[in-house]
Amino acid sequence: MYYEFLENVAQNNHLRDIHSVIKLVFGLGCILIAISSQSIIVPLLIIAITMFATLVLAKINLKFYLMLLTVPLGFAVISVLVIIFLRNSGTTLLSIPVFDWFNIVVSTGSLNEGLLIFSRVFAGMCSLFFVALTTPVTELFTTAAKCRIPHEFIDLAMLIYRFIFTLIEQAAQIHASQVMRLGYGSAKEGINSYGMMAGSLFINTWIAGENLMMAMDCRCYDGKFALNADDLRFSPALMAGVIALLAGLIVIAVYTRGFILFGA
Amino acid sequence: MEPIIELHNVSYKYPNGPKALDNVSFTINHGEKIALVGPNGAGKSTLLLMFNGMLKPDSGEILFNGKKLTYDREALREIRRRVGFVFQNPDTQTIAPTVYQDVAFGPVNLGMSRDEVRTVVFDALNDTGLAGFERRPIHQLSGGEKKRAAMAGILAMNPDVLVFDEPTSALDPAGSEDIMELLDEMQVNGKTIIISTHDVELAYPWADRVLLIKGGTVLLAGKPGDVFYNKDLVRSCKLSMPVLLELYEGLSEKGMPQIEKLPKSALDFITYLCENCGLQRKEEKTCGDIYLADVEHTSPEIVQNLLASGSIAAVGAMGTKAKTFAGNGNICPEFTYGVIDKCVLKAINKKNTLILTSGGMFARVHTRVEAFNQEYDQHIRVIENF
Repeated sequence: MYYEFLENVAQNNHLRDIHSVIKLVFGLGCILIAISSQSIIVPLLIIAITMFATLVLAKINLKFYLMLLTVPLGFAVISVLVIIFLRNSGTTLLSIPVFDWFNIVVSTGSLNEGLLIFSRVFAGMCSLFFVALTTPVTELFTTAAKCRIPHEFIDLAMLIYRFIFTLIEQAAQIHASQVMRLGYGSAKEGINSYGMMAGSLFINTWIAGENLMMAMDCRCYDGKFALNADDLRFSPALMAGVIALLAGLIVIAVYTRGFILFGA
Repeated sequence: MEPIIELHNVSYKYPNGPKALDNVSFTINHGEKIALVGPNGAGKSTLLLMFNGMLKPDSGEILFNGKKLTYDREALREIRRRVGFVFQNPDTQTIAPTVYQDVAFGPVNLGMSRDEVRTVVFDALNDTGLAGFERRPIHQLSGGEKKRAAMAGILAMNPDVLVFDEPTSALDPAGSEDIMELLDEMQVNGKTIIISTHDVELAYPWADRVLLIKGGTVLLAGKPGDVFYNKDLVRSCKLSMPVLLELYEGLSEKGMPQIEKLPKSALDFITYLCENCGLQRKEEKTCGDIYLADVEHTSPEIVQNLLASGSIAAVGAMGTKAKTFAGNGNICPEFTYGVIDKCVLKAINKKNTLILTSGGMFARVHTRVEAFNQEYDQHIRVIENF
């Protein structure tokens, strides 16, 4: 059984060998600038830049990327529509009478506000996906250790990471074997089978835990977990470029803060 | 030969279970290849877990290098470093997110410095043919690659003895051949190897000695031929005779003259048949040559030139380095397992072959071919300079 995990895509992206700190600074910087921006100009720029970085530089599959984006953007569109129709300020552009006592009104103010929020969400999502699709979790452990996060947390995170995939694989196998034996024929059976799956996963997890202890003992576990050899080159030039880009975006954001599309 | 592991009257019983081991005694020598063979539930895995102190015998004692095994923390750490254990299921064994981190797990816990860890990890990955896999997450590896990663994790701790529980289970034939050859390579490098298996075809040509285990006792220990030619015993252990021995037995019943030594490989058998059963006229003594290339001291161009000359009928790659070399040089080896035997076979059929190998395996080609020449009065040449 095969699932398309974000993580698997991230493991194979073309920006993998860029130091994760640079990618994180870029992605998080873009998110912060996008959500604090007062006009739609900078968010639109960020969307363009991060999409370029994700699709062209990191060579992420376009179809997969669009599919990913539709989920959050779908929610965003619905929320923004609510804002556009319910908020009311500025000149009225459109008024649809529903009942005698209730009109749906679209005004310049609400349209501007809706578009701003949508652009912020869009830019934020693009930046977030840039990080998610170019920085595999396995790289983040090293970065986290550098940020002085206590190693207990990192060790635990690493174990969890390793076993998430084992657990998913087992769940998929149990589910498949149940489906093959018609375990999900009716709703009642489905609930029953699902419960059985949860139960056997719990037992399997327990056994896996015991095995893990044994495996760690066999390999002389002494409270230490290895981190990746830190062989990704940190490029100061690239870091400077990223910071310059972010600074540029901030400057543009400040200068275009009063820009609105509809009305004054 | 010096004994490395000795068991004296070892018994073990799982809590609330039947007796898993009953008065087991035997000795394993330095540099031996031992196969524990027996049906499911015979106690093979239990026995293996005794070797590195994971289980403590209820009675009897275990000696490692002549010293009695004790079960305090320090002693256990030491024995686990010296005796590496590779689980049957690599998912159990691999702990860390990436290949590098997992292989580094043991070395880091042994207190090595960063640079030392780096060196041993890269060496272990090279030896197991996983170079370039450092940053890959374990869950993306194939079954065979996972198994190799598990082995690399143990090799990185540089143990004297390697214990493998079912090393080839759940692997495709090519994968298991690769793993078995890796085991050979480790043994050539001076390790003692102990495997448990119920694959008799695999154990028969590979092992120096076989321990037949059933119901928690060692039924018979000895040379693979002696153990597996004992038809009733083998059957009582729910195993089957290796095909080669079955063939030999069948032909003997048909009146084929007996061989004083049981055939250990297809090569042995074929040469014997050729010599004694009129498949080849006796006076024909010309044979092909075996070209031998050390991949550490040769370039793909030289090998390509040799291949271009058209005199080579087949290429064999022995060892991980040779396989990497072949892959890099766009050479497609015909043989990757049992290489020497297959090349000797080609040679007696008057065909020339080329063996790519390195390190300790290099000398083995010479000794094996010389031994063969002597035994069957053949004149196969091993050519190194071409």
